[in-house]
Amino acid sequence: VAAAANIEVMTDSVVNGRYDDNWVAVLQRNLPHVAERLVKARAKTLVVAPGLIERPYVFEGNDTPGVILSTAARRLINLYAVKPGNRAVVFSANADGDAAAEDLQRAGVEVARVVDARQGEDIVRVGGGTSVSSVECVDGAKIECDLLVAAVGWTAPTSLLNMAGDRPVYDERAARFFPSRLPDDVLATGGIAGDGTLDELLAHARATGREAARRAARRARALRAGIPQSADGREKPEASPVEVPELPVEEHPALFYGRTHGIVDYSEDVTSKDLLAAEKEGYDSIELVKRYTTVTMGPTQGKLETVNTVAIMAAATGRTIEDTGTTVWRPPYSPITLGALAGRIFEPVRYSPMQTWHERHGAKPLIAGAWIRPDQYGDPASEVLNVRENVGIIDVTPLGKFDLRGPDVPRLLEMLYVNRWANLDVGKVRYGVMCLEDGVVFDDGVTGRLGPDRYVMTTTSSGAASVWEWIDNWLQTAHPEWQVHVTPVTTAYASINVAGPKCRELLLRLTEDVDLSPDAFPYMRVRTGRIAGVDDCFMWRIGFTGELSYEIHVPAAYGLHVWEALMERGADLGIKPFGVEAQRILRLEKGHLIVGQDTDGLTGAYSAGLAWAVKLDKGDFAGKPELVWQSERYDYHRLVGLQPHDGSLVPPEASQIVEGENELVGRITSSRMSPTLGRSICLGLVAPHLAEPGTTVTVHLPDGERIPARVMEHHAHFDPEGVRQRG
Amino acid sequence: VAEPVARSPIAPTSPVTVVYGWEISARRSGADLRIMDCTPLAKVLVRASTDGEVARTLGVPFGRAARDEHGTLVVGSGPGEWLLLAPPATNAVVARRVEGIPDEGLVSVFDATHGRALMRITGERAADLLAKVCGVDFSEEVTPDGAAFRSSVAKLVTDVVRDDRGAERSYLLHCERSSGQYLFDALIDAGDEFGFEVEGFLTPEMQGVRG
Repeated sequence: VAAAANIEVMTDSVVNGRYDDNWVAVLQRNLPHVAERLVKARAKTLVVAPGLIERPYVFEGNDTPGVILSTAARRLINLYAVKPGNRAVVFSANADGDAAAEDLQRAGVEVARVVDARQGEDIVRVGGGTSVSSVECVDGAKIECDLLVAAVGWTAPTSLLNMAGDRPVYDERAARFFPSRLPDDVLATGGIAGDGTLDELLAHARATGREAARRAARRARALRAGIPQSADGREKPEASPVEVPELPVEEHPALFYGRTHGIVDYSEDVTSKDLLAAEKEGYDSIELVKRYTTVTMGPTQGKLETVNTVAIMAAATGRTIEDTGTTVWRPPYSPITLGALAGRIFEPVRYSPMQTWHERHGAKPLIAGAWIRPDQYGDPASEVLNVRENVGIIDVTPLGKFDLRGPDVPRLLEMLYVNRWANLDVGKVRYGVMCLEDGVVFDDGVTGRLGPDRYVMTTTSSGAASVWEWIDNWLQTAHPEWQVHVTPVTTAYASINVAGPKCRELLLRLTEDVDLSPDAFPYMRVRTGRIAGVDDCFMWRIGFTGELSYEIHVPAAYGLHVWEALMERGADLGIKPFGVEAQRILRLEKGHLIVGQDTDGLTGAYSAGLAWAVKLDKGDFAGKPELVWQSERYDYHRLVGLQPHDGSLVPPEASQIVEGENELVGRITSSRMSPTLGRSICLGLVAPHLAEPGTTVTVHLPDGERIPARVMEHHAHFDPEGVRQRG
Repeated sequence: VAEPVARSPIAPTSPVTVVYGWEISARRSGADLRIMDCTPLAKVLVRASTDGEVARTLGVPFGRAARDEHGTLVVGSGPGEWLLLAPPATNAVVARRVEGIPDEGLVSVFDATHGRALMRITGERAADLLAKVCGVDFSEEVTPDGAAFRSSVAKLVTDVVRDDRGAERSYLLHCERSSGQYLFDALIDAGDEFGFEVEGFLTPEMQGVRG
């Protein structure tokens, strides 16, 4: 079978569970490269042929070393050439027990007695304690020996059948369970299906295999019918059902427990006495007994002990085994490591096209969601100063970007943003703020109009996915009639912010088709053109850093080329790259808020100081009713610029602002030492009565010290008039 | 300033050369199971109504992929959304072709060449490899040649297209560019047990594909 190209034989493997649609979990062990792994497989037809598991007998001392099952004895002798003892008693109820006695004798073990259950003989207990020394029989005989081999019957491991919805039935003649109503895609063969000679079992297995193949082909045909195919050939006619012969069922004595108490569940140390005690306490349902005593809950998962438990409980309650029923068989069928269940932990990461350059130049990585970004290149303070004095470039590729097209884009923008968009001319960009329906600030960014029906929206890096869902929600549920196509293009463009007083001079050396003069390309405008020989770029003048700056967006595959060109052509201008940390300092100096940093899940637009952006006189937009209400209240915290009196102290972000003993009246949302100003600067949310410029607030530091800080007139600590960024 | 060179998000395996302005791997492999970075292929994203002229002309429903008369692989990548894959540097030609189709509804054509990473896995055990990292049924009946779907591959949103090369099983996988290296590495890792090897980019001419 293994030689067939389309058959894979998995050894040292066990099907640990069967789920809907014959989705089976195969636990594979001892592979060359991994100790254990879980293979998920779909079976069009599942053939269950697990054989039978020999059942232990419950009696006093049945956990004594030297008490073994007939299959164990025969395996030791025949497979491993191990003589399991010197003098044995065999307790046999079937032909396998008899065969074990023969094997033992052949291996040189003296068989002192065969206690034949078929003749009504029985054993009572074994003596010895740490190892078998004797066996007491019901007829009073006490036989000296070091081995007891028991062959009292078989348990059908119906686990997979139960998981497939079958409810196996107990057959008193054979003293074991058999399949009853199998679903169409599950078949059973071998000992689980019946007894018989080897020839009978082989004939049953062959017929079952053919029928399984026929049903699998039928299933495949049904699948093909529902999915477009390449259509190269006609379907073969469906084969007729294969007649699977019935297997005989042989009679077997019902032997589960003897006349003394012993272990039922070897994994959980549950005895027959425990089960009877549970029954006396009222736990007369098999499911309750399971949970009360933990019987069948150990690593064997019922394979050895379920039927004995059922038999003992049936006797205790006066019911039949059929009426008592079994516990529910659930996956996993065999023990499995958490590692195999967890599998490989995948953690997608995202890189910008310039990542290799950042790595080569010693950038310290910052993990921002899935993005790996350059946090700094060694000295963020000097990176800040270089942007203020010369020119710096930062990789801002992770900025969320959406291509918006269609005649209804302005309507969409009006709905998403709190400010006005209908009057945005081609070539202009505008800062926008999005609020949720509760008026809480959700995201912000710049959107530019590149053509009559084409816009590009940017969002925060961390908010891109949420904004995409937000947009989709509005378009698919609220306004499916709007003619708008939105395409996420975050990684279609490599984005670079070129900032500093010399950035225009630098870009003049690399830009074609774009007039960079202040009059032709003023603040908050967008232009398309060619940069460093790369077509289809767009660039806009904005000022997150507070400096004259251009954010350029180039087709991503050319990102590294353009970045290297900027570094090369800007060398004489003092160009340096700057990382996220320097950018955060620069924007804090300029007083630009970061959504999620200076706002939280409760910060409304008015709290964040964005009243100037909210246009309540325009039509409906997300959050408008709530914002109308906010606009009429004055009890919300306000975002303010703060400067500690002692400029050498930088209160950690999230430091509380307190009044009196310990009344919380605000917190520091952002704080840094400003290289430009040579002092500490902050943004913070404060209670309304503390928001007046000039107010002194008290900041409670983590070490318990309290320091005074002054509320500033502006959020901006540097160039509040925006002279520098307007160029 | 040097001539612009386009680069895939997937680091090319040596030897490295430049074809069609793209830096690519020129490695050749004789392995039974191979992965090729196909990012240089032109990728044009089309959005249009499902009952308009563009949809009729493209002729490929959501969930299927087929080549048109120009040799462009048209992938029905979503309801009212198609991804067109064509030889490198033909983006503009392919886009113009679609823009020229008269359609009364809103049609948008976006050149996604730079925004997506694209790779091809070829070999009889390609399905076994993908089954390790994706929950979709890769059996012949459910995902035959020409099947296209979006799913999680190694926990990453990925578009998968079954696009056999002759009699050999082959899948195209494309994802957002920024995660291209991640997906490539995850596939290499999953394919280790099958003797998976990197094959350098084969130009359409080398693959016998029309431009």
